[in-house]
Amino acid sequence: MTFNVNGKNYTVSVSNPDMPLLWVLRDLIGLTGTKYGCGIEVCGACTVLIDGQREHSCVFDASSAVGKKIVTIEGLGAGGLHPAQQAWVDEQVPQCGYCQPGMLMTVAGAINDGHRGKEIASECKNLCVCGTYPRIKKALSNL
Amino acid sequence: MTTRTIDSSAGRDTRGVSRRDFLVRTGSGLVLGFVLQNVSRVDLAEAGVPPPPAATGATVNSWLEIGADNSVTLTIGSSEMGQGSFSGLAQILSEDLMVDYARIRAVQGGPTLASPAPVGSAINTVGSSVIRRNFWRMRDAGAAAREMLVQAAMNRIGDQDRARYSVRDGVITHAPTGRSLTYGEVAADAAALPPPASAPLVPDDEFAVIGRSVPRLDIPAKVDGSAKYGIDIRLPNMVYAVIRHAPSVGGTLARTPSRPSGTIAVVPTQVVAGTERGGEAVGNVNAVAVVGTNTWDTWQAAKRLKVSWRLPANASALNSDRFLADGLALSSGGTPFVPGGANPPGTVYTVEGEAGSTTAAIDGSPSIVESVYSLPYVAHACMEVLNCTVDYVAGVRCDVYAPTQSATSALGLVVSLTGLSPDQVTVHTTYLGGGLGRKAETDFVSQAVQVGMAVGRPVKLMWPREEDFTHDQYRPMAVIRARAGLAQDGNVTGFSYRNVSPSILGQRGRVLGALGDSQGIEGATHLPYAFGTRAIEYVAHPSPVPVGFWRSVGASLNTFGVESMIDELAEAASQDPYLFRRGLLTDPRWMQVLDAVADRSGWLSPPRAGRARGIAIGTAFGSIVAQVVEASNLTTTSVRINKVWIAIDCYLAVNPDSIEAQLVGGMVHGLNATLYGRQTFVNGAAQVKNFNSSRMIRLNEMPDVDVTILPNPSVADRTAAIGGAGELGVPTFAPALAAACYKLGGRRIRTLPLFPAARMGGL
Ligand code: FES
Ligand code: FES
Repeated sequence: MTFNVNGKNYTVSVSNPDMPLLWVLRDLIGLTGTKYGCGIEVCGACTVLIDGQREHSCVFDASSAVGKKIVTIEGLGAGGLHPAQQAWVDEQVPQCGYCQPGMLMTVAGAINDGHRGKEIASECKNLCVCGTYPRIKKALSNL
Repeated sequence: MTTRTIDSSAGRDTRGVSRRDFLVRTGSGLVLGFVLQNVSRVDLAEAGVPPPPAATGATVNSWLEIGADNSVTLTIGSSEMGQGSFSGLAQILSEDLMVDYARIRAVQGGPTLASPAPVGSAINTVGSSVIRRNFWRMRDAGAAAREMLVQAAMNRIGDQDRARYSVRDGVITHAPTGRSLTYGEVAADAAALPPPASAPLVPDDEFAVIGRSVPRLDIPAKVDGSAKYGIDIRLPNMVYAVIRHAPSVGGTLARTPSRPSGTIAVVPTQVVAGTERGGEAVGNVNAVAVVGTNTWDTWQAAKRLKVSWRLPANASALNSDRFLADGLALSSGGTPFVPGGANPPGTVYTVEGEAGSTTAAIDGSPSIVESVYSLPYVAHACMEVLNCTVDYVAGVRCDVYAPTQSATSALGLVVSLTGLSPDQVTVHTTYLGGGLGRKAETDFVSQAVQVGMAVGRPVKLMWPREEDFTHDQYRPMAVIRARAGLAQDGNVTGFSYRNVSPSILGQRGRVLGALGDSQGIEGATHLPYAFGTRAIEYVAHPSPVPVGFWRSVGASLNTFGVESMIDELAEAASQDPYLFRRGLLTDPRWMQVLDAVADRSGWLSPPRAGRARGIAIGTAFGSIVAQVVEASNLTTTSVRINKVWIAIDCYLAVNPDSIEAQLVGGMVHGLNATLYGRQTFVNGAAQVKNFNSSRMIRLNEMPDVDVTILPNPSVADRTAAIGGAGELGVPTFAPALAAACYKLGGRRIRTLPLFPAARMGGL
């Protein structure tokens, strides 16, 4: 199967069309920025953009991603930092950082959907065990 | 950065630097080796941790390198799990080295830097210890390197009067001639000099970086996806292993299952010495790892695999209800500790005071309050599941890549499992997607090594989230009985307190002495309350469920027990809980912290209608913390946390912004546990398997938090204890919230969590 990720085509052999996109990205393509947290669509650590929309890659069938434009954290900035990434640096958001790729992809997707500021915050329900929420709120208020 | 002159001849602030603290390596620049504290979590738990040894090839675990190109590289083996201590160490160094913090490159140390290879130049990162235990060592190292560089410059310029030189961001200037030399220009010369016999530190009132909020070094990599966690390791020719444990505590493999088609191997793994806990005894084959070519297919194969397990004989007794009943039974009466005796679980250890006189004082009081509190087992649930990658070449080498808080302990374990010599084993510490104490354990490392040795190829072992929840080494459950008497005037006549909880140290092979398990009772001892008489007791609960160090450890149990009881006593004495504590406190530092949180929260003026506040204070890892929690809308299934105020005295704050982040994060950790956190057991099998049944708060539920850090001392005392920050937000949340809920609902909350049936919906 061929996947378009961050503007590049990757052709990999997928043993099982039901394999979630998360594992295609991480294990077969080798882009490990997208994280596994729960596997059951509760935490959001695995969020990527598919044709600009937020999707949870831990439950998104690989075969359904073929022919679509996939963006992961590695491709979010495309040559620089996405405004959300810059806001995250400015507010010193991450602690362990493990949830943050999913957070940032969720925020980027919400912005694509036309949300701004406080609206983004209500769209962003991902889990952060480290409790970086107040800084996320602050970072979002600048977007 | 301002120009600062250090007058070494005056000798002021020349504290503690000694030649034996440093090892100099020659090269194109100056390389200074030194020793940061490196102890295991269990050692740290026990009294009398010795000061680090002299710096030799075998002990040095940290390196500072000044390159001829003016680069400054700090190589340190501590683990970065979000607490920011890696950056904090660089920040401390920059002060006395007198270079801009932003110029320091911090490199993750591995165990093969020193020659001959020491057993670990990595540093166990446990017990909120990295900054507080190494503050002065980092300062000394910076000062010693600076003085070596200045000496080299003095030799070059030919004027040996130190007072005529000043340093600014790595540039040494000779005042009379105006001639300047950079650190890089004199680094090679400096490497030929002996470390100085003394090196003055920057006076506290001239600090340029210590005590300031500076950006963390690890943040850029954590926003662009480049940060590599253990789970992200990829090696050429690597295969993937997924673990599946016996369903029940103490369960073992009855027969090795045959390899499913499409997979590479099924490898039974056993509990090895040093990783045994409770019912998981050494030699128990308690899991199988399925090995395949990618995570997903291997995981599905592991789920489908038919495995027959042998359950332990006592499996039917391993139930949460039974654990609670046992705890209640042991919360009164019992046989006291006998020196040299068998002292089985259930033995009563008197940790402080004496039961007889305390009981007598309470019994003779006009008013008596007695309550029993209970807390459940709680999983760590780090955002990154347990995992470890092993590249083993028989007889030649073993490289281990792990998100570990205990690289040194891991190294020792790998050496003993493989039979290789220490210099053939390398432990690579990756970023940790949360550690929380769980990644101080080495069970997952041991399993990965066993699988790596069996398959003879690089292998990454992963615990699916369900395994991570169900085979944790949990925060111990506890049953706490507290009883106290009040005199007519509201003074406390006697305070008796007993904590019954499974012993963390006991499960790690320690024979408990007269004072029981320090980890179980911490947070209830040395309380600066005027209790009249007191009896503080610890009883080891016999449950075989594995327990471990969970962010803030015993303080998370006992601060709930103690402070909830204080709240009940305040009510019985008809006093405001803040003022009641004020009247009872005997330590001015505690009083300041309590006053600070009361001031910030406006405690003495009533909250908005429909809201209520609770207050609590406590100590852990050398810091004193108080919290006020304001809550509303309490129902049987939910409560709204409106605002939280936290005040801390950690003696000396290196990076206030980082401390704020840690306190808020710790508070959220405490909040999740207080409202929802619990692991329960049926026939030895853990019931909570993923985040959907272990709810945590999301962004929209996050209360505002106000953090106050008490000011740093005007002149820090080298002998004073610096407190931790990483675990300090946790303990006081639960009792403060419980007190607020009592005011809202009229019912005392003595059992945690508040909402055990809560579920977390999908996104
Ligand atoms: S891993 Fe996909 S939502 Fe948690
Ligand atoms: S930063 Fe660690 S889980 Fe969010």
